[in-house]
Amino acid sequence: MSSSLSTYAPKKLQRRFENKEKEWIRSDNRGFLQCRPAFLKTGSGNAASGSAFAEFGSTKVIVSIFGPRESKKAMMYSDIGRLNCSVSLTTFATPVRSKAMMGFEQNEKDLSSMLYKALEGVIKLDTFPKTTVDVFALVLQSGGSDLSVIISCASLALADAGIQMYDLLTSVSVARVGNNLIIDPTNEEENEQDGNLTIAYMPSRNEVSQVTLTGEWSTGKINQAMEISVAACFKLGDVLRNILRESE
Amino acid sequence: MSVELSFGEKNFIQGGIEQNLRADGRQRLDFRPMPIETGVIPQATGSARIRLGSTDVIVSVKAELGRPNSHHPGKGKVVIYVDCSSTVGPSFQGKKGEELSSELSTALQKCLLGGSGIDLSSLILVEGKLCWDLYIDGLILSSDGNLLDALGAAVKAALSNSLIPKVNILPDLAADEEPEVDIIDEEYTQIDTSSLPVIITLTKVGKQYIVDATLEEESQMSSAVSISLNRNGQICGLIKRGGAGLNPSVILDMISVAKHVSIRYIATLDSEISTAEASSAS
Repeated sequence: MSSSLSTYAPKKLQRRFENKEKEWIRSDNRGFLQCRPAFLKTGSGNAASGSAFAEFGSTKVIVSIFGPRESKKAMMYSDIGRLNCSVSLTTFATPVRSKAMMGFEQNEKDLSSMLYKALEGVIKLDTFPKTTVDVFALVLQSGGSDLSVIISCASLALADAGIQMYDLLTSVSVARVGNNLIIDPTNEEENEQDGNLTIAYMPSRNEVSQVTLTGEWSTGKINQAMEISVAACFKLGDVLRNILRESE
Repeated sequence: MSVELSFGEKNFIQGGIEQNLRADGRQRLDFRPMPIETGVIPQATGSARIRLGSTDVIVSVKAELGRPNSHHPGKGKVVIYVDCSSTVGPSFQGKKGEELSSELSTALQKCLLGGSGIDLSSLILVEGKLCWDLYIDGLILSSDGNLLDALGAAVKAALSNSLIPKVNILPDLAADEEPEVDIIDEEYTQIDTSSLPVIITLTKVGKQYIVDATLEEESQMSSAVSISLNRNGQICGLIKRGGAGLNPSVILDMISVAKHVSIRYIATLDSEISTAEASSAS
């Protein structure tokens, strides 16, 4: 499915979707089931107990982990640890300066709560009672599939910080455009999509910790999309493991 | 939403679900009776109140004239917001209440507006200039579990209760001029809600899943998956709650169970809405 074009130039949004049923060439010349080239690195921040940087195509994210540290005095005693997740977008992360955009704060809130929901079942919270772990994510550039990149990057950062987890969490998003499924959609593809499935998956436990689905789907398509994303999560899990091994 | 249960009570709930006989006598895939009232708020364009056991929610729909988004000149706008009154209980107060209300609002938006549930192009009056904005506001009066399904059903009932006045658009002269409108209060159009999906939440307790969980049952859940389905059996949205992970095959199985349940649920909901409409009209 990969194209024969040898040069690449950044292009403005092109309407390639007049006929969604036919196959088209994705704007970055990827195949439908091919993820964007990824670059991941641990330990990008100094002050944090663990941190990671992830770059999937034009989506760039930094995640820093602080703690486990003492919970605020006002918090009640708890025999399991607390997890605090916060996602913020820089003002220049989106093509339109984002602070002026409608629903910008809502978007940050949604991403934060989705990140929390994905991570809460993965971290062994009982290993750090009375304390809090902060997960701060910063989206430097929003280029599509932001949530999946944030989740994968956060799990890498948590591993870097030495927080105990049941498994490395990997996340992938699949977009449905017409009858086609494309993995790891970019922003312009997300704008044209008819449906989206994002899963956060623990490969070694074969468990989905979080899943959201939007748009209209038939059961067959969901099965197919789920298979594709699980397979991609497996591969991403291996990539994350290798990075952690190399960084030691 | 904290329920303090003793060890025995927990065992009773879990064991009952395991044996397909729940504390209130229902089977795992039975809903509680769902009485609906429509037209409960006179100031609103449409409204509905739904009770599921002691869960009690009101949804109002207000239609206002607005300007379409510049990115979608051919579409009207729909905004869903859920308010959690702190009269429900202390857990609905302050920051926790805000979190819950934003969680429910987002979930409803994802489940109901994601597909082609509401035909947004039918809300347009003058392309790029004038459209109806639908403000859908939910209010939780009392909570005994399964808030999302109740709200989803109430939104459907409130929308089918909504009468949008007909509008006469005076032919404007220049293209950049604002259109002048004349609202005719005697004539109305109805919103087509036949393709609006319903939300079914499957709560996983032990190895089994149940629909329409009460607050006590929800406190025993490991995770819950809310699935929105339309009349054609297409899935229009899926959201997971709860920390425990799920095997992908379990999720697919939940989808097929929800699909099975939805046929009966949609039929019940339709008949309840039409009874409510008939009694509010008389």
